[in-house]
Amino acid sequence: MSESSLARARPLRAPARLARAFEAYGQELVVLGALVVLMAVVGAVNPRYLSDTNLVSIFAGNAYIAVAAIGMSLVIISGNIDVSVGSLIGVLGTIAGTLAVGGHSRWVAWLVPIAAGVAVNAVLGALVAYARIPSIVVTLGAMSILRGGLISATSGAWISDLPGDFLIAQKRFLGVPSPFWFAAVLTVIVAIWMRHGAFGRSIYAVGGNADAARAAGIRTKETIVAVFAIHGFFAGVAAILFCTQLQVIQSTVPPNLELNVITASVIGGVSILGGTGTVVGSTLAALLFAAIASALIFLDISAYWLRAVLGLMILATVLADMARRRRTI
Amino acid sequence: MPSVVELSDITKSFEGVTALKGVSFDVREGEVHALLGENGAGKSTLIRIIAGSHLPDAGVLRVSGEPVRFGSPRDARRRGIATIYQELLLFPELTVAENVFLGNAPRTRLGSLDWAAMRARARALLDSLDSPDLSVDAKVGGLSVANRQRVEIAKALSQDPRVLVMDEPTASLAQADVDRLLAVVRRLRERGVAVVYVSHRLAEVFAIADRVTVLRDGAAVGTRAISEVTEASLVSMMVGRPVDQLFPKGQTELGRTMLEVRGLSSRDGVRDVSFSVKAGEILGIAGLVGSGRTELALAIFGIAPATAGEILVDGKPVRIDGPRRARDLGIAYVPEDRGQQGLVRSHTIRENVTLAVLDRVARAGILDRAEETRRAREAIERFRIRARGPEQLARQLSGGNQQKVVLAKWLGAEPRILILDEPTRGIDVGAKAEVHALMSDLARQGLAIVMISSELPEVLGMSDRVLVMNRGRLVGEFDRAHATADAVGAAMTRAPREGAA
Amino acid sequence: MRLDARTLLRHETVLAALVVVTFVVLANQSDRFFTAANLLNQGRFMAEVGLVALTMTFVIVTGGIDLSVGSILGFAAILVGVLWKKAGLPLPVAMGLAVGAAGVAGLTNGLIITRFKVPPLIATLATLALFRGLAEGISESRSVRGYPEWFYTLGQGEAAGVPVQVWVLAGAALVAAFVLERTTFGRATYVTGASETAARFSGVAVDRTKLLVYTASGLAAGLAAVILVSRVSTTRSDMGTGLELDVITAVVLGGTSIFGGKGTIAGTLLGLVLIQALRNGLALAGVKGDGTIVVIGAVLILTILVSNLFGRGGDG
Repeated sequence: MSESSLARARPLRAPARLARAFEAYGQELVVLGALVVLMAVVGAVNPRYLSDTNLVSIFAGNAYIAVAAIGMSLVIISGNIDVSVGSLIGVLGTIAGTLAVGGHSRWVAWLVPIAAGVAVNAVLGALVAYARIPSIVVTLGAMSILRGGLISATSGAWISDLPGDFLIAQKRFLGVPSPFWFAAVLTVIVAIWMRHGAFGRSIYAVGGNADAARAAGIRTKETIVAVFAIHGFFAGVAAILFCTQLQVIQSTVPPNLELNVITASVIGGVSILGGTGTVVGSTLAALLFAAIASALIFLDISAYWLRAVLGLMILATVLADMARRRRTI
Repeated sequence: MPSVVELSDITKSFEGVTALKGVSFDVREGEVHALLGENGAGKSTLIRIIAGSHLPDAGVLRVSGEPVRFGSPRDARRRGIATIYQELLLFPELTVAENVFLGNAPRTRLGSLDWAAMRARARALLDSLDSPDLSVDAKVGGLSVANRQRVEIAKALSQDPRVLVMDEPTASLAQADVDRLLAVVRRLRERGVAVVYVSHRLAEVFAIADRVTVLRDGAAVGTRAISEVTEASLVSMMVGRPVDQLFPKGQTELGRTMLEVRGLSSRDGVRDVSFSVKAGEILGIAGLVGSGRTELALAIFGIAPATAGEILVDGKPVRIDGPRRARDLGIAYVPEDRGQQGLVRSHTIRENVTLAVLDRVARAGILDRAEETRRAREAIERFRIRARGPEQLARQLSGGNQQKVVLAKWLGAEPRILILDEPTRGIDVGAKAEVHALMSDLARQGLAIVMISSELPEVLGMSDRVLVMNRGRLVGEFDRAHATADAVGAAMTRAPREGAA
Repeated sequence: MRLDARTLLRHETVLAALVVVTFVVLANQSDRFFTAANLLNQGRFMAEVGLVALTMTFVIVTGGIDLSVGSILGFAAILVGVLWKKAGLPLPVAMGLAVGAAGVAGLTNGLIITRFKVPPLIATLATLALFRGLAEGISESRSVRGYPEWFYTLGQGEAAGVPVQVWVLAGAALVAAFVLERTTFGRATYVTGASETAARFSGVAVDRTKLLVYTASGLAAGLAAVILVSRVSTTRSDMGTGLELDVITAVVLGGTSIFGGKGTIAGTLLGLVLIQALRNGLALAGVKGDGTIVVIGAVLILTILVSNLFGRGGDG
């Protein structure tokens, strides 16, 4: 390397760096900003919105969506989608509860569902990668299989009498409920890994241009299976957090869950066309959405409009994303 | 001199079509071996076998004398074979540095990506390609085609290859860049790299190659040292017979002005372009890739409508907001990208031929199958399309015959103005001659023809007048007498004066 | 039209054979299956999915997809009840407006997809939530009952011994088949799915085709909603949930390529019959409703898996 090229490779000066950071993280900052504004405005209208219990409920109670959104973001970045995650979480939660009341140790009750989640999703990923079935079809089918299977197997019965030490979501570390810690730590770990790990970059490559990725020597099929498997891991963790929030587990699939998770990813800046986005954004967006849901209640707006709001949010974000893309490409 | 890569008796077929038959080819250390042949001759398949994307059906591939079997491009890369394809395989959302090192990025001791090293090395590679103004942090999606190609070349060089396969590397480059690229290739040769150089451009082949192999119809016609061949002998090897006059543009009486464009600008980069074409005239438009010629055609055809200026058809001002309107006004456009824009590959000849005139082969919206078939048969006969019949699928036809189908489609719309964008790219010399003869014929019948072409001999041979574009503007206009290779070539790289026509 | 006559015919013949085999097996398993009463009754159940499947065939052939059909159905169903009971409009007017609103919903999908270039998957995933949300919001989860007698003929009545909605489905199927295979609009539909770029460059009105196709999808869902309400005598905001699964499965089973460019109405009808027969068979064998969706989901995946194995993915 010549002297001059070494010189040019020195780090950028501060303003250029700031500009670069903003360009790269714009969407995440927008979401964060929206969250702050929302809380300020609603808090002004109804101060109970900002009470301790409510804030805990917003952040910790919905942390599981953020965790699931981490995995979903990876799937979407790789150019695919998964509409079965809600059903999967329901199934895994029921498995966890059944194991817990069945006398197994809490570790078994926690880890077996996670392993199951990885296995199931790895199969889905294999169908997408090797059998070349579009992910929408595979996961649409999987959604029915899981949902129908769950209801058939349990006949809708609830699981109660859960052992106390199993209920991890209700534990606190340093005064903060554990789901919050799970979401935060996992987000940070994955964000760093995506940025600096070669596998993380290859996910972006596969989602951005699968042919080029293959020609560059990236094993696209294995990558997709791995992405789905990792997504299964996060779905498993989310399931544990979800099902341990209360003293009972309902054997139904939480409605809208997959939509919530996808929305969080999309609003958080993961482009639905694949190839870009970060998990930090999706976590922030999951929180934003939870805050909005809660705000609806505190502003006395009928909760029946929640799903409509969700749909509008996805639409607005996607339209903005398309507008942004058309300008750069 | 030992061969680094040697292919012996390679055969490869796809879907029953034989792409390569018993081809033997080798490249040595420190040599540039050019690979020539018309499209469909098998060059693509051959380089993909070297690159590890395809496995041969028969024959042996050897690297440094050892037989190998590449299960994937990765295996070939590990053996030191780097390939630069014609279709740029880059990731628009990632930066230049990331693209250059994707798949073999430098790592820190912790195993994570070493961004600083990546950026520094990418910078060094770009500098060795004389691209100081290309930033390693720029997103590839926003780069020009020529710059993207530089990134591709840097990517190949980053692997420190023993063998470099280059597929039409100069397709998007200005002459100055071509010279720079050839200098890079020479430097690589001096370092002992074996280079396989695939190109249509005989001038470059003579400038850089040590040996040349010609493929025709899937077979190797011969391998010669460059000193043993001339341009004529190479062309005759490619075609199978001696070729004399390729460009039969005869004298025609010109009619009235059919198309006039004044001060046309568009969002895609066309800036203030004005010209006119008369009936019976062939107007050639020359320029480098990215000079705005296709954008100009798209503005006239309505795909990327004009934002300023006027278009007049047969003296009357018109507004063209889409291809349908253009067709109704008698304008036809035969696109550059035959496979994606010109044809529906999975449909039959009949369906393709009638696609632009569906309303004319139907009554009250109901298709007249008999009329469709009649038109298709007529087209097959008139244009001598080599096919089994109107129901054959377009994707099974050769490049030349596919182009004829596209032409048939548009001529079926009875246009007055025909815009052709690279009409003979990627088709064999025989079909090329047929297309040129057809163009002359059409001009004689009174069509106004605009021909966009990157092949100077074609432009110079076929046009009554030549326009030159650069960066979206017109930078030169020549009549037949004054259009020489030097004059037009020089104009193609001339910087446009703002505000000039 | 018949793009690759031999292949397509082969898929449909296989499918027809499958239908026959399934009928034989089910007839053997339960003597209640092969009775006129049962078959006609199944025809009744099939009509709603069938109507939407006809238009979904067009949508998928253009290379798109419409996940919001179930929500549009629910939305239209609620509108019928709300416009009649709360707004006091005459029932025929309410029905017409509901179907019209469903058409507007479909048009909205079409506009988002063509004007804003949002991929159909995402656009209809979002509107799936939006329209369902509107249904929930408008109805406030209250159901409407007590419709006049004549209203029930649509969903529960008969004409010449055959349920009314089966006549409707049959008529719609004939029209759909004719349009898809014999008209310029049908050709435009195929070309848009086979190669949208080439279609545009040839002057085909691609955007208009898509708009019409998605609007039709909405209208079909609206009509299906009216029939459904008439059949079950009530409106609920969760009606139509999961409809998209049944519809897409029927279409894909019938040989329409999920990538677009290929497909026939005849195939869709065969797929429809097969799925309904499966459902019926499972029900007669004592499997509860939730069990059947497991089977449908599996059938969807298997169909495409098998079709890919025989090498028919995407455009050549």
